[in-house]
Amino acid sequence: MAEAQARVPGPIRVWDLPVRLFHWLIVGLFAFSWWSGENHDMDWHRWSGYAVLALLVFRLYWGFAGTSTARFAAFVRGPGAALTYARSLAQRPYVAKVGHNPIGGWSVMLMLAALVVQVAAGLFAVDVDGIESGPLSDYVSFETGRAAAKLHHLVFNIALAVVAVHIAAIMVYRFWLKTDLITPMITGKRQSASLPPDAAAAAVGLGLSWRALVGVAAAAAVAYAISVGFRF
Amino acid sequence: MTAKRSFTILPFAVLALTAATLADAAAPPSVTATIAARQANFKKMGKAMKILSDQLKSSAPSQPAMYGAAQVIASNARRQGRMFPLGTGPGSGVETEALPAIWTDKADFDAKMRQLVNESTKLVAVTKAGNAAAIGAQLKATGGTCGACHRKYRAEDE
Ligand code: HEC
Ligand code: HEM
Repeated sequence: MAEAQARVPGPIRVWDLPVRLFHWLIVGLFAFSWWSGENHDMDWHRWSGYAVLALLVFRLYWGFAGTSTARFAAFVRGPGAALTYARSLAQRPYVAKVGHNPIGGWSVMLMLAALVVQVAAGLFAVDVDGIESGPLSDYVSFETGRAAAKLHHLVFNIALAVVAVHIAAIMVYRFWLKTDLITPMITGKRQSASLPPDAAAAAVGLGLSWRALVGVAAAAAVAYAISVGFRF
Repeated sequence: MTAKRSFTILPFAVLALTAATLADAAAPPSVTATIAARQANFKKMGKAMKILSDQLKSSAPSQPAMYGAAQVIASNARRQGRMFPLGTGPGSGVETEALPAIWTDKADFDAKMRQLVNESTKLVAVTKAGNAAAIGAQLKATGGTCGACHRKYRAEDE
């Protein structure tokens, strides 16, 4: 019985829909925030930031309530696991994982952390003219607001560096390990031939449960409350 | 006769000597003081701008607070024009975000400073009247003059 189940031919879903939507919306909004920030188009920059904020709230919640590959508990692993995995990279052919590998998991947490700090700093930031400011800036002094703005600049450069490493890693998988990570992040699915024999058992659903609805509602509510600085 | 002349020369000699010593130092005290003073004035203006925008965010903005802040901006704006004498740029050895373009394009810089004085004077008038919508519009106009000058004449801090 288990034998028959072992190699189900065809594609297996490895990423649920919320994870994929989160990912590509973040890519778009990250670029848009960059562009609008550079052009001092602050109205758009603020809206983009609130959208990123809502997405982050959702993703942090989904890290506990999502499907198995979305959960932090499944992919945040210790240095030992990362080391073992790094050694396994020498084997050919490379066998892909369902979900994040032990090193990729850390890069995900790093990107999320960078974005959380980026957004948080923006909420308190005050520009040098004292005219453009985040929705929570009136809770802090001018000096603190200016420091937040400087942090916002600094962390952006860190985020860019982390994203560059992220994209470089995906290229290494693509061309060196002959493993396509991009298509699964779009379609959600990977051919079972490139996965371990027991992969089918780890396949995930589409993720569109009442839990996702709760997450969307919570994310929208939190982002709205912060965007008006808790002045209702 | 000769004794008297040497006495009149003496003060000039002392003056020339001090001037030479001053020019030798990395940054004359007067330059350091001028840069520090203008930065302090700008900071007061920035704080006052924040008071105005904070007040406008609240459901019940305080007219006296906004009027006071507008006066801080307008009075400091009038001082700032004189705070950029030659030799107080980045070459002075003192930390400053002032860009060399200030002194190569002085007429435009001065014009921008006059715009700040004009708009902040209007800001005082509208905050005295106290209409929040009018204050918001004039705050934007005033902030626009800050930004227009900063983009061209102030080094971006990262
Ligand atoms: C005509 C040009 C000009 C205008 C107008 C102007 N600034 Fe500036 N501002 C500068 C320059 C140049 C510096 C850099 C000064 C330095 O570092 O020596 C500066 C620096 C500052 C600083 C940083 C001071 C520090 O701590 O080092 C603040 C804050 C500031 N400006 C606020 C404002 C505000 C608010 C307004 C409008 C209400 C304004 N400025 C209008 C030219 C201008
Ligand atoms: C066009 C460039 C990009 C591509 C091709 C890309 C591709 C991918 C892929 C394939 C994964 C899954 C990795 C795995 O299988 O372990 C992933 C995850 C992730 N990427 Fe990107 N990415 C890009 C840009 C970005 C940008 C700009 C950001 C924003 C900072 C970002 C943030 C993330 C995050 C946070 C995850 C984890 C997703 C999750 O588990 O929810 N990526 N990316």
